[in-house]
Amino acid sequence: MSKPNIKAQMIPPDAYPQMVSKAHAAVMARTLRSNVTAVTATRVIEDNGEMLRDAVRGYVGELEEAGMDFAILSDKAHEIRGFAETAGMLSTGRIADGLCRYFDEAEQSGVRPDAAVVALHVSAITRTARDTDALSQMNDMVARELAQLAGRKLAESRKAAKNS
Amino acid sequence: MSGSALEHLKILIVEDNQHMRSLLRALLNSAGIREISEANNGGTALTVLREKKCDLVLSDLAMKPMDGLEFSRTVRTAGNSPNPFVPIIMITGHTEKHQVEAARDAGVTEFLVKPITAHSLFSRIAEIVERPRAFVRCESYFGPDRRRRTIDSYAGPWRRHDDFQDLQVQ
Repeated sequence: MSKPNIKAQMIPPDAYPQMVSKAHAAVMARTLRSNVTAVTATRVIEDNGEMLRDAVRGYVGELEEAGMDFAILSDKAHEIRGFAETAGMLSTGRIADGLCRYFDEAEQSGVRPDAAVVALHVSAITRTARDTDALSQMNDMVARELAQLAGRKLAESRKAAKNS
Repeated sequence: MSGSALEHLKILIVEDNQHMRSLLRALLNSAGIREISEANNGGTALTVLREKKCDLVLSDLAMKPMDGLEFSRTVRTAGNSPNPFVPIIMITGHTEKHQVEAARDAGVTEFLVKPITAHSLFSRIAEIVERPRAFVRCESYFGPDRRRRTIDSYAGPWRRHDDFQDLQVQ
Protein backbone atom coordinates (compact mmCIF):
# COMPACT_ATOMS: atom_id res chain seq x y z
CA MET A 1 0.00 0.00 0.00
CA SER A 2 1.46 3.37 -0.97
CA LYS A 3 1.87 5.93 1.77
CA PRO A 4 0.14 9.31 1.43
CA ASN A 5 2.31 12.25 0.47
CA ILE A 6 1.10 14.45 3.28
CA LYS A 7 1.55 13.41 6.88
CA ALA A 8 -1.49 13.41 9.13
CA GLN A 9 -1.61 16.57 11.17
CA MET A 10 -3.14 16.26 14.66
CA ILE A 11 -4.97 19.31 15.95
CA PRO A 12 -5.49 19.02 19.70
CA PRO A 13 -8.69 20.43 21.26
CA ASP A 14 -6.72 23.34 22.77
CA ALA A 15 -5.71 24.46 19.28
CA TYR A 16 -9.18 25.12 17.91
CA PRO A 17 -12.11 27.14 19.33
CA GLN A 18 -14.19 25.30 21.94
CA MET A 19 -17.85 26.04 22.66
CA VAL A 20 -17.18 26.66 26.36
CA SER A 21 -14.28 26.85 28.80
CA LYS A 22 -13.22 23.68 30.63
CA ALA A 23 -14.80 24.90 33.88
CA HIS A 24 -18.14 25.60 32.23
CA ALA A 25 -17.95 22.34 30.32
CA ALA A 26 -17.80 20.39 33.57
CA VAL A 27 -20.85 22.22 34.92
CA MET A 28 -22.78 21.68 31.68
CA ALA A 29 -21.94 17.99 31.58
CA ARG A 30 -23.07 17.58 35.19
CA THR A 31 -26.37 19.32 34.38
CA LEU A 32 -26.91 17.15 31.30
CA ARG A 33 -26.27 13.97 33.29
CA SER A 34 -28.30 15.00 36.34
CA ASN A 35 -31.40 13.22 37.59
CA VAL A 36 -33.37 16.47 37.44
CA THR A 37 -32.65 16.82 33.72
CA ALA A 38 -33.52 13.16 33.13
CA VAL A 39 -36.84 13.44 34.96
CA THR A 40 -37.78 16.67 33.16
CA ALA A 41 -36.90 15.16 29.79
CA THR A 42 -38.90 12.02 30.50
CA ARG A 43 -41.91 14.20 31.25
CA VAL A 44 -41.36 16.05 27.97
CA ILE A 45 -41.39 12.77 26.06
CA GLU A 46 -44.60 11.75 27.84
CA ASP A 47 -46.16 15.13 27.04
CA ASN A 48 -45.29 14.61 23.38
CA GLY A 49 -46.56 11.03 23.39
CA GLU A 50 -49.75 11.66 21.46
CA MET A 51 -47.93 13.70 18.79
CA LEU A 52 -45.42 10.87 18.42
CA ARG A 53 -48.11 8.18 18.25
CA ASP A 54 -49.91 10.18 15.56
CA ALA A 55 -46.65 10.38 13.63
CA VAL A 56 -46.13 6.62 13.90
CA ARG A 57 -49.70 5.93 12.78
CA GLY A 58 -49.11 8.25 9.80
CA TYR A 59 -46.02 6.25 8.77
CA VAL A 60 -47.91 3.00 9.29
CA GLY A 61 -50.59 4.27 6.87
CA GLU A 62 -47.86 5.09 4.33
CA LEU A 63 -46.35 1.65 4.89
CA GLU A 64 -49.67 -0.02 4.08
CA GLU A 65 -50.07 2.09 0.95
CA ALA A 66 -46.58 1.24 -0.32
CA GLY A 67 -47.69 -2.13 -1.69
CA MET A 68 -44.57 -4.09 -2.60
CA ASP A 69 -42.36 -1.09 -3.31
CA PHE A 70 -39.44 -2.27 -1.18
CA ALA A 71 -37.63 1.08 -1.22
CA ILE A 72 -40.64 2.91 0.26
CA LEU A 73 -41.37 0.04 2.65
CA SER A 74 -37.80 0.10 3.94
CA ASP A 75 -37.88 3.86 4.29
CA LYS A 76 -41.16 3.83 6.24
CA ALA A 77 -40.07 0.89 8.39
CA HIS A 78 -36.98 2.88 9.39
CA GLU A 79 -39.17 5.91 10.27
CA ILE A 80 -41.44 3.71 12.40
CA ARG A 81 -38.49 2.08 14.13
CA GLY A 82 -37.10 5.55 14.86
CA PHE A 83 -40.23 6.77 16.60
CA ALA A 84 -42.33 3.88 17.90
CA GLU A 85 -40.37 3.06 21.04
CA THR A 86 -40.14 6.72 22.07
CA ALA A 87 -43.92 6.91 21.52
CA GLY A 88 -44.41 3.93 23.82
CA MET A 89 -45.45 1.61 20.95
CA LEU A 90 -42.98 -1.08 21.86
CA SER A 91 -44.35 -3.98 19.82
CA THR A 92 -44.71 -1.84 16.71
CA GLY A 93 -41.13 -0.67 17.15
CA ARG A 94 -39.85 -4.19 17.68
CA ILE A 95 -41.55 -5.60 14.58
CA ALA A 96 -40.46 -2.59 12.48
CA ASP A 97 -36.92 -3.21 13.72
CA GLY A 98 -37.23 -6.80 12.51
CA LEU A 99 -38.37 -5.61 9.08
CA CYS A 100 -35.51 -3.07 8.86
CA ARG A 101 -32.98 -5.76 9.74
CA TYR A 102 -34.51 -8.09 7.16
CA PHE A 103 -34.25 -5.44 4.42
CA ASP A 104 -30.71 -4.53 5.46
CA GLU A 105 -29.50 -8.14 5.56
CA ALA A 106 -31.19 -8.99 2.26
CA GLU A 107 -29.46 -6.01 0.65
CA GLN A 108 -26.10 -6.99 2.13
CA SER A 109 -26.53 -10.54 0.88
CA GLY A 110 -27.63 -9.37 -2.55
CA VAL A 111 -30.93 -11.27 -2.38
CA ARG A 112 -34.42 -9.97 -3.12
CA PRO A 113 -36.65 -9.74 -0.04
CA ASP A 114 -39.40 -12.34 0.10
CA ALA A 115 -42.79 -10.70 -0.52
CA ALA A 116 -44.62 -12.93 1.98
CA VAL A 117 -42.15 -12.18 4.79
CA VAL A 118 -42.50 -8.45 4.10
CA ALA A 119 -46.31 -8.64 3.93
CA LEU A 120 -46.47 -10.49 7.27
CA HIS A 121 -44.33 -7.83 8.93
CA VAL A 122 -46.44 -5.02 7.44
CA SER A 123 -49.62 -6.70 8.64
CA ALA A 124 -48.22 -7.18 12.18
CA ILE A 125 -46.97 -3.58 12.33
CA THR A 126 -50.39 -2.32 11.22
CA ARG A 127 -52.22 -4.43 13.77
CA THR A 128 -50.02 -3.55 16.75
CA ALA A 129 -50.08 0.16 15.85
CA ARG A 130 -53.88 0.11 15.94
CA ASP A 131 -54.02 -1.80 19.22
CA THR A 132 -53.36 -0.07 22.45
CA ASP A 133 -50.00 -1.71 21.97
CA ALA A 134 -48.79 -2.67 25.35
CA LEU A 135 -46.00 -5.17 24.88
CA SER A 136 -48.34 -8.09 25.32
CA GLN A 137 -47.09 -11.65 25.32
CA MET A 138 -48.89 -12.24 22.03
CA ASN A 139 -47.23 -9.30 20.28
CA ASP A 140 -43.90 -10.36 21.72
CA MET A 141 -44.39 -13.86 20.33
CA VAL A 142 -45.40 -12.48 16.91
CA ALA A 143 -42.24 -10.35 16.81
CA ARG A 144 -40.09 -13.36 17.74
CA GLU A 145 -41.69 -15.66 15.19
CA LEU A 146 -41.42 -13.08 12.44
CA ALA A 147 -37.72 -12.67 13.23
CA GLN A 148 -37.25 -16.45 12.99
CA LEU A 149 -39.17 -16.59 9.72
CA ALA A 150 -37.12 -13.73 8.28
CA GLY A 151 -33.89 -15.47 9.32
CA ARG A 152 -35.00 -18.75 7.77
CA LYS A 153 -36.06 -17.12 4.49
CA LEU A 154 -32.81 -15.19 4.27
CA ALA A 155 -30.79 -18.37 4.74
CA GLU A 156 -32.84 -20.09 1.99
CA SER A 157 -32.41 -17.14 -0.38
CA ARG A 158 -28.66 -16.99 0.26
CA LYS A 159 -28.34 -20.71 -0.37
CA ALA A 160 -30.37 -20.47 -3.57
CA ALA A 161 -28.27 -17.52 -4.77
CA LYS A 162 -25.06 -19.45 -4.03
CA ASN A 163 -26.25 -22.51 -5.95
CA SER A 164 -27.51 -20.64 -8.98
CA MET B 1 -21.98 31.82 32.62
CA SER B 2 -23.33 29.62 35.37
CA GLY B 3 -24.95 26.19 35.70
CA SER B 4 -26.89 27.09 33.06
CA ALA B 5 -24.35 27.80 30.59
CA LEU B 6 -26.63 25.55 28.62
CA GLU B 7 -28.88 28.56 28.07
CA HIS B 8 -26.17 30.06 25.91
CA LEU B 9 -25.46 26.97 23.87
CA LYS B 10 -26.50 27.46 20.25
CA ILE B 11 -27.71 24.31 18.57
CA LEU B 12 -28.74 23.65 14.98
CA ILE B 13 -31.16 20.78 14.29
CA VAL B 14 -30.96 19.45 10.72
CA GLU B 15 -33.84 17.05 10.18
CA ASP B 16 -36.43 16.64 7.43
CA ASN B 17 -38.97 15.11 9.78
CA GLN B 18 -41.03 17.74 11.52
CA HIS B 19 -42.00 15.43 14.40
CA MET B 20 -38.39 14.59 15.13
CA ARG B 21 -37.46 18.29 15.00
CA SER B 22 -40.22 19.04 17.53
CA LEU B 23 -39.13 16.21 19.81
CA LEU B 24 -35.47 17.25 19.71
CA ARG B 25 -36.37 20.88 20.35
CA ALA B 26 -38.57 19.90 23.32
CA LEU B 27 -35.85 17.69 24.78
CA LEU B 28 -33.20 20.40 24.40
CA ASN B 29 -35.55 22.96 25.95
CA SER B 30 -36.09 20.63 28.90
CA ALA B 31 -32.35 20.77 29.62
CA GLY B 32 -32.41 24.56 29.55
CA ILE B 33 -31.12 24.98 25.99
CA ARG B 34 -32.96 27.87 24.40
CA GLU B 35 -31.01 28.97 21.33
CA ILE B 36 -32.10 26.43 18.75
CA SER B 37 -32.20 26.82 14.97
CA GLU B 38 -33.74 24.37 12.54
CA ALA B 39 -33.15 23.32 8.95
CA ASN B 40 -34.89 20.60 6.96
CA ASN B 41 -31.89 19.49 4.86
CA GLY B 42 -28.14 19.87 4.56
CA GLY B 43 -28.26 22.72 2.04
CA THR B 44 -30.49 24.90 4.21
CA ALA B 45 -28.36 24.01 7.22
CA LEU B 46 -25.25 25.37 5.50
CA THR B 47 -27.06 28.66 4.96
CA VAL B 48 -28.10 28.77 8.62
CA LEU B 49 -24.54 27.98 9.72
CA ARG B 50 -23.24 30.89 7.63
CA GLU B 51 -25.79 33.27 9.12
CA LYS B 52 -25.69 32.18 12.77
CA LYS B 53 -22.92 31.01 15.01
CA CYS B 54 -23.72 27.47 16.18
CA ASP B 55 -21.90 25.51 18.88
CA LEU B 56 -23.29 22.12 17.97
CA VAL B 57 -25.19 20.46 15.13
CA LEU B 58 -27.65 17.57 15.46
CA SER B 59 -28.14 16.15 11.97
CA ASP B 60 -30.25 13.42 10.44
CA LEU B 61 -28.55 11.21 7.87
CA ALA B 62 -31.19 10.58 5.18
CA MET B 63 -32.48 13.88 3.78
CA LYS B 64 -33.02 15.39 0.36
CA PRO B 65 -31.64 17.17 -1.59
CA MET B 66 -28.50 17.25 0.58
CA ASP B 67 -28.13 14.41 3.07
CA GLY B 68 -26.31 14.43 6.39
CA LEU B 69 -23.15 12.88 4.98
CA GLU B 70 -22.68 15.48 2.26
CA PHE B 71 -23.54 18.20 4.76
CA SER B 72 -20.88 16.94 7.21
CA ARG B 73 -18.24 16.64 4.48
CA THR B 74 -19.02 20.17 3.29
CA VAL B 75 -18.84 21.61 6.81
CA ARG B 76 -15.48 19.91 7.39
CA THR B 77 -13.77 20.47 4.07
CA ALA B 78 -15.34 23.27 2.01
CA GLY B 79 -13.09 26.27 1.56
CA ASN B 80 -15.91 28.59 2.61
CA SER B 81 -17.09 26.47 5.56
CA PRO B 82 -18.26 28.73 8.37
CA ASN B 83 -16.93 26.41 11.08
CA PRO B 84 -15.05 23.25 10.10
CA PHE B 85 -14.58 22.29 13.77
CA VAL B 86 -18.25 22.43 14.83
CA PRO B 87 -19.25 19.17 16.58
CA ILE B 88 -21.81 17.17 14.58
CA ILE B 89 -23.99 14.47 16.14
CA MET B 90 -25.52 12.27 13.43
CA ILE B 91 -28.93 10.97 14.47
CA THR B 92 -30.28 8.17 12.33
CA GLY B 93 -32.48 5.12 12.13
CA HIS B 94 -29.98 3.51 9.73
CA THR B 95 -27.66 1.38 11.79
CA GLU B 96 -25.96 -0.68 9.11
CA LYS B 97 -22.18 -0.86 9.46
CA HIS B 98 -21.54 0.84 6.10
CA GLN B 99 -23.71 3.81 7.14
CA VAL B 100 -21.87 4.19 10.45
CA GLU B 101 -18.53 4.03 8.66
CA ALA B 102 -19.69 6.54 6.04
CA ALA B 103 -20.75 8.94 8.81
CA ARG B 104 -17.42 8.51 10.59
CA ASP B 105 -15.52 9.13 7.35
CA ALA B 106 -17.62 12.22 6.60
CA GLY B 107 -16.31 13.74 9.83
CA VAL B 108 -19.21 13.38 12.27
CA THR B 109 -18.28 13.65 15.91
CA GLU B 110 -20.83 11.28 17.44
CA PHE B 111 -23.41 8.84 16.09
CA LEU B 112 -26.80 8.45 17.76
CA VAL B 113 -29.24 5.72 16.79
CA LYS B 114 -32.99 6.23 16.79
CA PRO B 115 -35.13 5.68 18.76
CA ILE B 116 -33.47 8.40 20.78
CA THR B 117 -33.84 8.73 24.51
CA ALA B 118 -33.15 11.77 26.65
CA HIS B 119 -30.27 9.86 28.22
CA SER B 120 -28.65 8.96 24.90
CA LEU B 121 -28.97 12.49 23.53
CA PHE B 122 -27.74 14.28 26.63
CA SER B 123 -24.87 11.90 27.25
CA ARG B 124 -23.60 12.46 23.68
CA ILE B 125 -23.75 16.24 24.18
CA ALA B 126 -22.06 15.97 27.59
CA GLU B 127 -19.32 13.83 26.06
CA ILE B 128 -18.64 16.43 23.36
CA VAL B 129 -18.63 19.31 25.83
CA GLU B 130 -16.48 17.54 28.39
CA ARG B 131 -14.08 15.66 26.15
CA PRO B 132 -13.65 17.49 22.86
CA ARG B 133 -11.85 15.36 20.27
CA ALA B 134 -8.60 16.15 18.54
CA PHE B 135 -8.93 16.77 14.80
CA VAL B 136 -6.93 15.08 12.09
CA ARG B 137 -6.00 16.62 8.78
CA CYS B 138 -4.56 14.39 6.08
CA GLU B 139 -4.77 13.97 2.35
CA SER B 140 -8.08 12.14 2.38
CA TYR B 141 -9.77 13.29 5.60
CA PHE B 142 -10.42 16.23 7.85
CA GLY B 143 -12.45 15.76 10.98
CA PRO B 144 -12.44 14.40 14.52
CA ASP B 145 -9.80 11.77 15.23
CA ARG B 146 -11.46 8.50 14.25
CA ARG B 147 -9.49 6.56 16.84
CA ARG B 148 -11.76 6.42 19.86
CA ARG B 149 -9.38 4.70 22.23
CA THR B 150 -5.83 3.59 22.71
CA ILE B 151 -5.28 -0.07 23.43
CA ASP B 152 -2.07 -0.45 25.38
CA SER B 153 -1.82 -4.13 24.52
CA TYR B 154 -2.33 -3.53 20.76
CA ALA B 155 0.18 -5.70 18.94
CA GLY B 156 -0.92 -5.12 15.34
CA PRO B 157 0.79 -3.04 12.66
CA TRP B 158 1.07 0.75 12.92
CA ARG B 159 -1.24 2.13 10.29
CA ARG B 160 -1.04 5.87 10.55
CA HIS B 161 1.74 7.36 8.45
CA ASP B 162 3.36 9.28 11.32
CA ASP B 163 2.98 6.57 13.97
CA PHE B 164 6.53 5.34 13.39
CA GLN B 165 7.91 8.84 13.77
CA ASP B 166 5.94 9.32 17.00
CA LEU B 167 7.40 6.07 18.23
CA GLN B 168 10.95 7.24 17.46
CA VAL B 169 10.39 10.53 19.26
CA GLN B 170 9.28 8.70 22.37
